[in-house]
Amino acid sequence: MTHEELIKKWLDNELNQTEFEAFTQLEDYEDLIKLDHSMQRFKAPQYNAEVELKSALQQIESRKTKSTNWLKPMMRVAAVLVVAFGLYFYVSGLETTYQTTIAQQIDTYLPDDSQITLNAASSLSFNKRSWDKNRLVNLEGEAFFKVAKGSKFNVVTSAGTVSVLGTEFNVKQRANYFEVYCFEGSVGVETKNESYVLKPGESFRVVDGNIEKLSDASAKLPSWLSNESSFENVPVHLVFEELERQYNITINSSNIEKSVLFNGTFTHTNLELALKSITIPLNLTYKIDNNVITILRE
Amino acid sequence: MPLPLNDNVCAETVYSAIFRKYSKDLHDFLYYKFGENFNPKDKVQEAFIKLWENCSKVTPDKAKSFLFTVANNLMLNEHAHQKVVLKYQATKPKHYTNENPEFIMQGNEYMDQLQKAIESLSEAQRVAFLLNRIEGKKHKEIAEMLNISTKAVEKRIYGALKILKEQVEGLN
Repeated sequence: MTHEELIKKWLDNELNQTEFEAFTQLEDYEDLIKLDHSMQRFKAPQYNAEVELKSALQQIESRKTKSTNWLKPMMRVAAVLVVAFGLYFYVSGLETTYQTTIAQQIDTYLPDDSQITLNAASSLSFNKRSWDKNRLVNLEGEAFFKVAKGSKFNVVTSAGTVSVLGTEFNVKQRANYFEVYCFEGSVGVETKNESYVLKPGESFRVVDGNIEKLSDASAKLPSWLSNESSFENVPVHLVFEELERQYNITINSSNIEKSVLFNGTFTHTNLELALKSITIPLNLTYKIDNNVITILRE
Repeated sequence: MPLPLNDNVCAETVYSAIFRKYSKDLHDFLYYKFGENFNPKDKVQEAFIKLWENCSKVTPDKAKSFLFTVANNLMLNEHAHQKVVLKYQATKPKHYTNENPEFIMQGNEYMDQLQKAIESLSEAQRVAFLLNRIEGKKHKEIAEMLNISTKAVEKRIYGALKILKEQVEGLN
């Protein structure tokens, strides 16, 4: 075996007993052993696979949680967005409502710029979002509408529905009383049983179940807009109810017969004057006790 | 050849077994190839993390070559052909104390010359020689690690030994 072969076998740790003997007899044997021993001092640093594995698994674990970490803030943002959108749709889906208390009037506009004046103790609502598809106004009480040209919509009350096309009209819906007065253009009125079309100066009313259609070309605007309520053959207890809505009072009119009709007006600005203008023509008197007014026969 | 039980290394038991089997070899390979300046332990960690991230795409029998390739590339990116430094330890290795009582610590002159000689080896020679002489790897094991033939490994190691012997000739 050559010198080179012996060394190569030694390098691969393949020497048998006799070969090893031969190897130790080589003239450079000692140099080789010296070199080989010295090589050990170049050994790589200690490597503990178990320690390293543990640290690798920890890193993997922390990366896993990191990857879910971004999810949490995202979920928060998403939740806020959901709530915000929800709130937006809820609020925008809600009806816009206007309400007046006793002795209060307010002016407002519909989304199509139609003007509305709401009389005392009334409420009006509509849905801004669905306005384009569904022009509906819900009314309880009394309101004057000045509708923008070309704008059609319906006023829904418990007593009937009023449909409009570019016009001015007044709707009054109170207990046992429903009146629509057309001032300009034309107005359609639909109750449970009947439907009418009103021309300017015409009015339609249902008082205590009796339907009447009246013509009175005189009025240009409802009188209540100028702080006066006017009545034409209206049962007096309904007049007193209107009085209660315009002044913060309670009226006891139990002594007065319901069949008594009233023609005339009363002001919204002076209670004494208003009371007189109702009672004197009907030969009645009244007694004021704090906010309670008792109506008496003369 | 038996079929591998798992077709990927995503199971922690498979992953851990692979770690135990290859991490030290990978570490030593990186150390002898690139030296101590680029923390080989970190590169081993990085390579194994990368293996985890790609666990579904790597079969167990491909894991070794994946790890060695990835770790090697990680090193190359950082390394940028800097000089490899392998320093000898100031004290003699512990594991030699008992089994070789005749072991004599060589002087600094000899060790410095040996260090220079090792640095003068080609990278291929150095890695094969150090894995063989220091880590006691058989030629066949090194051949598998480096994806070369046993003959080539033998050639590299013998060549390296010749160079080193010549350079430390006559020194004590």
